[in-house]
Amino acid sequence: MRGVLYLAWRYILWHRWKSAILIAAVTLVVYLPLGLQLVVERTATDITARADATPLLLGRRGSPLELVLNSLYFSSDYPQPLNYGQQQDLRQSGLVDPIPLYVRFHSQRVPIVGTSLDYFEFRGLELAQGRQLVSLGEAVLGARAAEVLGVNVGDTVLSSPESVFELAGVYPLKMPVVGILAPRFDQDDGAIFVDLKTAWIIEGLGHGHQDLTSSQAAGAILKTEGERIVANASLVQYNEITPDNIDSFHFHGDLSRLPLTAILPVPRDNKGRVLIQGRYQSNETLQMLSPREVIDQLLETVFAVQRYVLVAMVMVAVATGAVILLVFLLSWRARRGEQLTLLRLGGSRFVITSLMLAEALVVTLLALFLAAVLTALTITFGGPLLQAVVM
Amino acid sequence: MRLLCLVLTVGLTACGQQEEEARAPSAAEDKSVPVVYTVNYPLAWLAQQLSAGATSVEFPAPTGEDPAFWKPPPEIVARYQQADLVLLNGANYARWLAQVSMPANRLRDTSAGFAGHILHESRSPVHSHGPEGAHSHTKAAFTVWLDLSLMALQAESVAVALQELLPGQATAIEERLATLQQQLAQLDTELQSVAAQLEGAPVLYSHPVYQYLQRRYNINGVALHWEPDQFPAEQEWARLQALLQSHPAQLMLWEDDPLPQVAQRLAEIGIAVVVFRPQGNWPAAGDFASNMRGNIDRLRSQ
Repeated sequence: MRGVLYLAWRYILWHRWKSAILIAAVTLVVYLPLGLQLVVERTATDITARADATPLLLGRRGSPLELVLNSLYFSSDYPQPLNYGQQQDLRQSGLVDPIPLYVRFHSQRVPIVGTSLDYFEFRGLELAQGRQLVSLGEAVLGARAAEVLGVNVGDTVLSSPESVFELAGVYPLKMPVVGILAPRFDQDDGAIFVDLKTAWIIEGLGHGHQDLTSSQAAGAILKTEGERIVANASLVQYNEITPDNIDSFHFHGDLSRLPLTAILPVPRDNKGRVLIQGRYQSNETLQMLSPREVIDQLLETVFAVQRYVLVAMVMVAVATGAVILLVFLLSWRARRGEQLTLLRLGGSRFVITSLMLAEALVVTLLALFLAAVLTALTITFGGPLLQAVVM
Repeated sequence: MRLLCLVLTVGLTACGQQEEEARAPSAAEDKSVPVVYTVNYPLAWLAQQLSAGATSVEFPAPTGEDPAFWKPPPEIVARYQQADLVLLNGANYARWLAQVSMPANRLRDTSAGFAGHILHESRSPVHSHGPEGAHSHTKAAFTVWLDLSLMALQAESVAVALQELLPGQATAIEERLATLQQQLAQLDTELQSVAAQLEGAPVLYSHPVYQYLQRRYNINGVALHWEPDQFPAEQEWARLQALLQSHPAQLMLWEDDPLPQVAQRLAEIGIAVVVFRPQGNWPAAGDFASNMRGNIDRLRSQ
């Protein structure tokens, strides 16, 4: 029997290209449906885990999916804003501890998440380097965001303009990196976290500028009418918040009217959760969502797509299997002369058949081994690889 | 298919999350005594009175600093961030709060319940730059606790916050609140009685910190900008003389004892000095109630 296996192995090595193509075909036929199934199952588990960890989400009425993807996964376009005052209303209800979110801006395509320190505690985010946000204008980066941007504690990140054509828009804000979070292997790894007020400053809703009554600002005064001073465009506005100019930063008007993209209301108990959901049920401008329900609806769509893909793959697998069988049969037919030679040399029909089957067995075993390796790689590195492909 | 890719990306980046969940929220540290930070002494006193040792009340402003304008260094801000409860005065007091990141859910604005009663004053010229139009920066008067009826409302807010922090002591806190409000009501009545004796006579304030005292107790006062540890420049004295023409005050409230030569010169022009300590920072001796009683007694003795 060892002789049969040896001859089969030598045959495979001799016809290495044909064998490699056969092994690759069988590997893919086995791996693709299995890998896809694993990826989708793992995805469903992970995606629902984050949704499960976020009991409620409040945002403006509109697409629930957009709101959830923006608020939990920092992807998708930013939803219609709601007012910061809504957060104060939620807190005053005494039923939930609200966490504000303003996920609108980016730094080189890395999302900037404006929030409060409560978010870090809520998600269990811990610092790997540096310290927590203290002053306006500071940034704490997720592990992957720091890697992507190539920055460390002490470096700075710059907010990106929303549009390259926005010539009259706000200046990018230069933010010192004061901390980098330990990796969590979730969406928080890929974000830049700033205080909510810093996010408003990025938008230009708060700003710092020269004191209009100081002599340095004299050149920027367009006109003075009694107590009213009108400045021109040369008025120096600061694009970095430093200890020297931080006192000049201010917001105009009522803070409760400033925008948020969403609020994460953390219920104090189940009763609070039910009551607060009830209060917003008939609200015409706001929607209180359970992210899990939205994600379940999304996953239903995904699973429906997956079923179609799997059926297609099984059909392709059957066709590929038939082709592989044909290849073997043709190969055996083409090797009839070789089989006659073996018969003349004294080989029995059983040995000759065993030899042919051994070749098929070795090819199949090698293909199964490779499929197993690919499946293991998918489980381990599938996320980053797929992300790299999609991004 | 793009949707599928997006979902897969979103989900797969979370690979390993489950393994990491074991180290999630580390909030379960040993916190046998909750820590309460405040932004001024009156709130620290209220918290001490209401929690009666069940919390560790911290107010870390250095002696001699006015907490309204004090800027804590980052290491002290970090201590505020880690507190279980931070009691705020509201009315834009402690402006450093607007410049730092704080856990909003652990902040309690003790004057939010009477926001409509906050006094505002314009401090900067009206100006405009850019599309937002004309605006001016106004500042709120912040020594709300000098209106003892407002301080009683602050006490209620502190009590609610402490009850949330110490649900097992809700009843005891409620009882202490009743006692405290009785004490504040008594001081309020006495202060009203003493202020009524002034019968609308003109009064001067060394500093613009008595807005709520003036409104609550109907005092006819005008504020200067004099510091207790400085001798005013001659032009300030000239300004005072001019003011006395329209506002012939014979009494001047000071945040602290003025320099003896200042008190002497004021006496020469017929103005008596009364020290009425707002008590924004820790008192040198006694507590808020005893020092407020001292304020009332000094005012009564005039």
